[in-house]
Amino acid sequence: MGQTGRYTSMTKQSTGAVGAKARRNGSKDPLGANSEIGRKLKQYYDELVSDEVPDRFAELLSQLENAEPTQKRKKA
Amino acid sequence: MVVTPQFKNDLLGTIPSLRAFAVSLTQNSDKADDLVQETLVKAWDKHESFQMGTNLKAWLFTILRNEFYSQMRKRGREIQDSDGIMTERLAVHPSQHGLLDLEDFRAALEQLPEDQREAIILIGASGFSYEEAAEICNCAVGTIKSRVSRARNRLQEILKISGEADYGPDAISAQVMGSNAA
Repeated sequence: MGQTGRYTSMTKQSTGAVGAKARRNGSKDPLGANSEIGRKLKQYYDELVSDEVPDRFAELLSQLENAEPTQKRKKA
Repeated sequence: MVVTPQFKNDLLGTIPSLRAFAVSLTQNSDKADDLVQETLVKAWDKHESFQMGTNLKAWLFTILRNEFYSQMRKRGREIQDSDGIMTERLAVHPSQHGLLDLEDFRAALEQLPEDQREAIILIGASGFSYEEAAEICNCAVGTIKSRVSRARNRLQEILKISGEADYGPDAISAQVMGSNAA
């Protein structure tokens, strides 16, 4: 693809900068905030992220914590 | 070394992202949650290999992804489509009012090969850089770039989007790219 060696300078871009980059050189960031695909992708993902987390995960971590082998206390 | 309360809290904080990524990979919320559970157990077991101050989310995504592919290999890939809750929506119709329906998008996303889907999710939605995504997927940065690009083209094809949106503040780049001939 037509990228030049300058690409490395873009590597640390945050998501916030993506829209601006896309506007400046459209082909370099095809998923900017202004593309339909980019927007839908975020909408799809944000919906998943905001899904309520079931209790089982907090419970799991507590179980793991209590089962720490290095803890003095023996399992009851 | 004991797992610190800080580490545990950080794990908890990452769960929503892990679940989102897991659903993106498995296309199935039950399998996704099992995958997240496996990931948390693994992360707990090898917490000492995590370097404080580095990107915990990227580390966890890597574990989750490895777990996903090793399960897929074990099951001979049936995981992909066996009882995906969204498969019945496979038929995608071009949107009539110009804006994509989210369900159509979901169905289109599901048609992508895993490697392309994960790449476009990591870059376009999870907020990772190309370098981070390459590390998570254990491949070259250029590979991620080409997967993202193929994924995007494929999505446009499936969803019958002709190119950049022809509305909104991006009309300029659409003109520049000459993609807009109505």
